[in-house]
Amino acid sequence: MKPQNQRRNTILFLIVTAGVLILITAAGMLLKDQAVQTNFARKNLAPSREFLFGTDWMGRDMFARTLAGLSLSIRIGLLTAAVSALIALILGTACAVLGRAADAVISWWIDLMMGIPHILLVMLISIACGRGFTGVVAGVALSHWTSLARVIRGEVLQLREAPYILTASKLGVSKMQIVKNHMIPHLLPQFVTGLILLFPHAILHESSITFLGFGLSSEQPAIGVILSESMRYLTTGRWWLALFPGLSLVCVVMLFALLGERVAKLLNPASAHE
Amino acid sequence: MRSNVKRKPAALLACLLVLSLMAGCGGSSSESRSNTSENRSSVVIAMDPNSEPEAGFDPAFGWGAGEHVHEPLIQSTLTVTNTNLTIDYDLATDYSVSEDGLLWTVHIRDDVKFTDGEPLTARDVAFTYNTVKEASSVNDFTMLDHAEALDDTTVVFHMTRPFSIWPYTMAVVGIVPEHAYGSASYGSNPIGSGRYILKQWDKGQQVILDANPDYYGEQPNMQRVTIVFMEEDAAFLAAQAGEVDLAYTSATYSDQTVEGYSLAAYESVDNRGFNLPAVPEQTTESGETIGNDFTTDVQVRRAINIGVDRQEMIDHVLNGYGSPAYSVCDQMPWYNSASEVTYDPEKAKSLLDEAGWKTGEDGIREKDGVKAELNLLYATGDSVRQALAADFAEQLKELGISCTLEGVGWDTAYDRAQSDPLIWGWGAHTPMELYNIYHTIGDTGLAQYSPYSNSTVDVYMDQALASSDLEVSYDLWQKAQWDGTTGVTQDGDIPWVWLVNIDHLYWVADGLQVAEQKIHPHGHGWSIVNNVDQWSWS
Repeated sequence: MKPQNQRRNTILFLIVTAGVLILITAAGMLLKDQAVQTNFARKNLAPSREFLFGTDWMGRDMFARTLAGLSLSIRIGLLTAAVSALIALILGTACAVLGRAADAVISWWIDLMMGIPHILLVMLISIACGRGFTGVVAGVALSHWTSLARVIRGEVLQLREAPYILTASKLGVSKMQIVKNHMIPHLLPQFVTGLILLFPHAILHESSITFLGFGLSSEQPAIGVILSESMRYLTTGRWWLALFPGLSLVCVVMLFALLGERVAKLLNPASAHE
Repeated sequence: MRSNVKRKPAALLACLLVLSLMAGCGGSSSESRSNTSENRSSVVIAMDPNSEPEAGFDPAFGWGAGEHVHEPLIQSTLTVTNTNLTIDYDLATDYSVSEDGLLWTVHIRDDVKFTDGEPLTARDVAFTYNTVKEASSVNDFTMLDHAEALDDTTVVFHMTRPFSIWPYTMAVVGIVPEHAYGSASYGSNPIGSGRYILKQWDKGQQVILDANPDYYGEQPNMQRVTIVFMEEDAAFLAAQAGEVDLAYTSATYSDQTVEGYSLAAYESVDNRGFNLPAVPEQTTESGETIGNDFTTDVQVRRAINIGVDRQEMIDHVLNGYGSPAYSVCDQMPWYNSASEVTYDPEKAKSLLDEAGWKTGEDGIREKDGVKAELNLLYATGDSVRQALAADFAEQLKELGISCTLEGVGWDTAYDRAQSDPLIWGWGAHTPMELYNIYHTIGDTGLAQYSPYSNSTVDVYMDQALASSDLEVSYDLWQKAQWDGTTGVTQDGDIPWVWLVNIDHLYWVADGLQVAEQKIHPHGHGWSIVNNVDQWSWS
């Protein structure tokens, strides 16, 4: 009885979580115009029934701004996590399949990337790509693939010596065929989990470099922008400018992390039936 | 005109620094705060970290005579500006200029000594000017050919072109000693003959100035001036903690109260305004886009100028701490009051209608397929400029002009402003600013910061610079703005629309008497301490 329930619960949880995240994304996109609407007649209002999260120094509705910001973050996260995961998959597989020289080069490259402090790397790439939206996307996408690539490489190395792969190879199946038919299906759980777990990283890094002023421009409703602006007003007692957007960001990131964990459990044969 | 992009990590650090100061210096806080009964001749001032002179206190690298001009305190200058911004003497005893404007002769006092005991002679003056001409990258000295000392008290300046406002330049260039000057060391170890001596400079933290006991003028009232550099929020906290006697602040904090302090607002010519490119959109030979098809219509520029309610902006964005701006030089001796306009939205709408900009179905005007749209640029990180731009956009929407906002860094802003309106900050104690903004330059035949040209305006300014009499030149500068038929005002070409002058706000400790301030120029920094020697405690 109990394991069954756990599995069903997990699936239910996944659906609800995914639903919430999709809802936030959609709501944020719909509220985009409202989020940038300034109105000096209603500036610096504390949270009330009309403005759930209050308003800022230009009279913008913080609830709309927060949702729009989260939505933007999630979409950037989605894009960058997908790109990162794809790079990781290709390089990780190439590493293991193309032979020793390629493996050495790619491993060295992974080590190099991991050796540079992460936030610094994101900033450097972002600035090199001209800041703004493209800068952030490029920065986050091109810096997050390393650990996943390493995991996949390890997995493939192990897989390469597996009897069924060796057999297939002796039977004359081409390398590409082996990768496609035998390796990818095996790597999929690892890959999906890794992909989802990249989200929180991507979102946090997007917000942090925007917060530090190297990311999105300040008229964009991004969480990093909202938080860095709110810093100026903390000393004057406008706590709501930082608190609600900050909390929402934490919630979204945690939802993604939980989602990743649960998916991992579900896809891992060892724990799938718990 | 520029302001550095706010550095957030620096802000955080400064915050931490202040917190740790407050936590760690419980015992010594009475020492840093001078408002105690026995110690009433010193003052502690909190200033913006951007005000710290990066290259030190060397006039050749922008101290006093840089992007933001102020009195150099440590050094003496030949002339000074009065509170009404006319010229008075400091080291100079008189000056005269030749008929053709190419030779300035200045006599100086013979009783002035540097703080190392050596006398200050005309040779030091000549050396200083020749040095700043060679080295200064932040200020324009191309009008000076060379300076020459005729004897101990006479110096002559050979000019490359007539420059009637040279006395305003002489008011900001601090005189350095020829015998103790090295471009590498002088900045952090300056020797001058001014009211104060640099006692200590902890880079990134504070500057301590002590009164010069051998000063040739009146002995400074404030014997010690300590300047601490902190971000705005840290300065506010420092005032709350009673750590400083005077702290800069902004409209964001103006609705707060700090016990033991009052909020002082000083008038400024620190203005904000948009450039409105006055030529149609086109691509230059070097491939840059300049001009704007909407603002090239002079009626559009006029409509915008009278269609914005400046007082509303001041109330909304500056919490009332500002004054309407109608020119780049409001209240200066060279200001032409014809620049002033009254807010008249109906007139603005009818101007647009008459010019053929008809309201479309979506409420946005258009003419011959060109939409009445503006992309307003502002410097990322400057919240006041961002809010002013947002308010400006709101108001233009009422006129049927649709605006979008875009934050840009200063690395690209100058190029972008050639085709899109950018919100600028100007305001200086010299009419040269008019020249920089409205006079055409070089081979393009257009003004430097925003494409515009008017040969009549150019001629007036050329005449003003060539004039041998400062008073006469004021009149010519005014004519350059509006001579009755053409100019840069509402009835003229109005290539820039000026919005507000921002009051400079400070928390002032009770009992501190800040001496009367000159109208502050752009830059919320050292201007406040121009006359710190005359401050007192009551």
